[in-house]
Amino acid sequence: MRKKMTLASVAGVATITLALAACGGGDGSTGGDGGGGGEGDGSLTVWAWDPAFNVYAMNEAATIYQQDNPDVTVEVIETPWEDIQTKLTTLAQTGELEELPDIFLMQNNAFQKNLINYPELFTDITDSGIDFAEFPESVVAFSTTEGANYGVPFDNGAAVTALRTDVLAEAGYTIEDFTDITWDEFIANGEDILAQTGKPLLSGVAGESDLITMILQSTGGSLFDADGNPTISDNDALLQAIDVYTRLVESGLFVEVNSWDEYIGTFVNSNVAGTINGIWILGSIQTAEDQTGLWNITNLPSLEGVGEATNYSANGGSSWVVSSNADAELAEDFLGATFAGSTEFYDTILPSSGAIANWIPASESEVYAEPHPFFADQPVFQLAVEFGAQVPSVNTGAYYYEGRDAVSAAITNILNGADPADALAEAQATVEFAMQ
Amino acid sequence: MSTQVTPVVSPDRHRDERPPSGRGFGSLGGRRSLTGWIFLLPAALLILVMNFWPMFQAFILSLQTGRGAQLSFAEPLWFNYERLLADQTFWMTLRTTLLYLVIQVPIMLAVALVLANILNNPRLRFKGMWRTAIFLPCAVSLVSYALVFRTMFATDGLVNDVLTGINLIDAPINWLGQTHTAQFVIIIGLLWRWTGYNMVFYLAGLQNIDHSTVEAAKVDGANAAKTFWYVTLPQLKPMILLTAIMSTNGTIQLFDESYNLTAGGPAYTSMSVSHYLYEVSFVQNPNFGYAAAISYVILVIVALLAAIQLKVGDKRD
Repeated sequence: MRKKMTLASVAGVATITLALAACGGGDGSTGGDGGGGGEGDGSLTVWAWDPAFNVYAMNEAATIYQQDNPDVTVEVIETPWEDIQTKLTTLAQTGELEELPDIFLMQNNAFQKNLINYPELFTDITDSGIDFAEFPESVVAFSTTEGANYGVPFDNGAAVTALRTDVLAEAGYTIEDFTDITWDEFIANGEDILAQTGKPLLSGVAGESDLITMILQSTGGSLFDADGNPTISDNDALLQAIDVYTRLVESGLFVEVNSWDEYIGTFVNSNVAGTINGIWILGSIQTAEDQTGLWNITNLPSLEGVGEATNYSANGGSSWVVSSNADAELAEDFLGATFAGSTEFYDTILPSSGAIANWIPASESEVYAEPHPFFADQPVFQLAVEFGAQVPSVNTGAYYYEGRDAVSAAITNILNGADPADALAEAQATVEFAMQ
Repeated sequence: MSTQVTPVVSPDRHRDERPPSGRGFGSLGGRRSLTGWIFLLPAALLILVMNFWPMFQAFILSLQTGRGAQLSFAEPLWFNYERLLADQTFWMTLRTTLLYLVIQVPIMLAVALVLANILNNPRLRFKGMWRTAIFLPCAVSLVSYALVFRTMFATDGLVNDVLTGINLIDAPINWLGQTHTAQFVIIIGLLWRWTGYNMVFYLAGLQNIDHSTVEAAKVDGANAAKTFWYVTLPQLKPMILLTAIMSTNGTIQLFDESYNLTAGGPAYTSMSVSHYLYEVSFVQNPNFGYAAAISYVILVIVALLAAIQLKVGDKRD
C-alpha cells in the first residue's frame, strides 16, 4: 500500500508539472525556431523563403554590410511564405510580438492586408533616411498607407511576355511582331502560329486569375478603387480582360493546367511557345538548358480602348519589413545601406540569382546592361527595370485575396458558360459579403 | 480523417471487476479507487487545460468581431452565426463535405468489413503480407499521398496515360479541373488511405469473436453468407459503431486532401468546411471570430451525428 501511495503522489506531482509546462512558454525565451529580434546586440534575425533567391540575397547583403560593420551578424531563417503569413497572423492575434524577427519578407499582394489588420507588426520607416523616390511608385504603393512607408521593395515583379524565337521564326514572326501590340493583334498572330506550328503561345493554372489581374493592372485598373471598395461588377476593363482570357482559352492559344508544376512543365517541355508572367519567371524558364538562345522577352499586349491601355504590368514581387520587435535603428541602417543604397550589392546578386532590383539606381550599372546568352543576348535585366518603371500603380486593398479568389471562381463559371456580367456581379457580392 | 485513436478492445469485458467493497475512501476499495482517480488526474487535467479551455475560448471568440487583433463583442452577440446563414461559400463547402461523408464512409466501412473477413479466414495464405499491404497506406503522410494523387490525376498524369493506353478514353480527362471528377478523386484518395485503417479495427474485433459460435452456426446448416450476417456481424457491432463515429468525425473535419489534392478547386467546389475555415483565418483577410463560429458549427454537426449513431447503433442498455 505504501508503494501505491508513493506512485499516486508521483502521478499528482507529474500532473502539476505538466500543467505548468503547458502554461509556460511565454517567459520571454527567444526560442530556436525563429523570433528573437530586438536584442540590440548587433545581430539581426530575418525570415525569407527562397534559398536560391531572397535568402541568398539577404546573406549577400549581410556580407556587404559587414565590410563596414564587422560586428553585425545576420541570421536568415528559411521560412516558406505561407508559414510566414501563418506565424505573423498567430503572433499578432496572440500579442506575442516579442517572437518576431527583426526583418521579414512579405509578398506585395499581402502587404495591405497585413498592414491594415495588424499595424502592430510593423515599424514606420518613413523617416529612416531611405529614399523611397528611388523605387517605382507602383511598387512603393504596396507598402504605403496614409503617406507612411512600411516596407523596402525588393524584387521586381514587372510583367514580361517571354517567347520562343525558334517557334516564331518557323511561322515567319519575330519578337518585334509581339512588341507594343494589342491583345487583338496578339490573338491574331497566335492563331496563325498555332495553325502553322501546332504550338500554343501561353499556359497557366486553371482557376487562377493572374493573367487577368495583369491585364487589368496594365490599364491602371484593379479589383478595388482607391478607397478599397470592390469594383468587380460593371468594370469595363475587367469584363474586357475576361473576354480576352476566354478568347485565348477557346482558341486553344492558352493551355489550362491544374498546378504550378504542370504550368512550368508546359514551357520547359516545349509544349507551349511562351508565357506571360512576372520577370521572376525567367528563373524557371532557364531550367530548360537545351533552349539556350531560343528565348526573347518583350512587353505585354495592351488592352485597347480601356483606361490608360499601357503595355506594362506586374505580378508578384516582395518587400522587406522592419518588424515592431526589431532593433529598428540597425535594421533600417542595414536595409538602407544594401537593398536601398548599394549598386555593388545588386551587381553581386543579379547574375547568380536573377533577383532584379526595384531600386532604380541599380539599373544604371553595367551589369544590368550585359547581354544574356540564354535570351539570345538580350539585356533582359535592363528591360525588366525599364518595364517596371512604367507600370501603372493600383490599390490592392486589404481584401485582395477575396477579390482574386472570387474573380477566379467567376472565370471558372464563365468558361463553363455563365454570363460574364452575372458571374462578376456574384463575385462582387461575395467580396462585399466578406467585407461586412 | 486525421484522428488517430488507439483501439480499446471491448471495454465492457472488465465490467464485473469493480472494487469489491465500500464506496468511502477509508475502505480498501475506496483507497484503490482514490489511487485510480489520482492516476486519471494527469490526463484529465491536461485535457482540461489543452482541449476544453481552448474550446471555451473559441466559443467566446466566435461571439466577437473586429479588425485584426482588435476584437470586441459583436452586436448582436450571434452576429457571426447569423452571417453563416447568408454565406454561400460556407453552404457550398458544407454540402460538399456532407457529400464526401455520405458517399465515402459507407463504401469504406463495407469494403473494410469484407477485407477483414477475407483476412480472417484461417486457410488464407500469406496473411501477413496481405495485412501489411492493406494497412500500409495508413503509414503514409496525408500530405505526401495527396500530392502523389494530384500528380497521378494530372491531365498528363499516370491515370490518363493508362486509360488512353487501354483505349478506354479518347482524350485525357481533366480530373482536377471539373467539379465532379475533382470530388471523385478526393473520395478515391480517402478510400485508399483509410480503408485499411478501419479494417484493422474489424480484424481485432473478429479475433475476439468466439470461434465456437461460428462453428455452431455451421453445424446448424448456415451457409457462409448467413453465418456472416447473423453470427459475425452482430458481434462486431460495437466495433462498427466505433469506426462509423470515428470516420464521420474525421470526414467532417477533412482538411489535408482538400488543401493539397485539389486546393479546393475548381471555383471552391471541392473544398471542405475545414479548408474554408483555414482560408478565412490565414489566406483571406483574417476573420477569427467568424472562423471560430464555423468551427462551432462543425462541432455541433459532429456531435449530432455521433449522438444519432449512438442512439441507432448502441443497444446495450
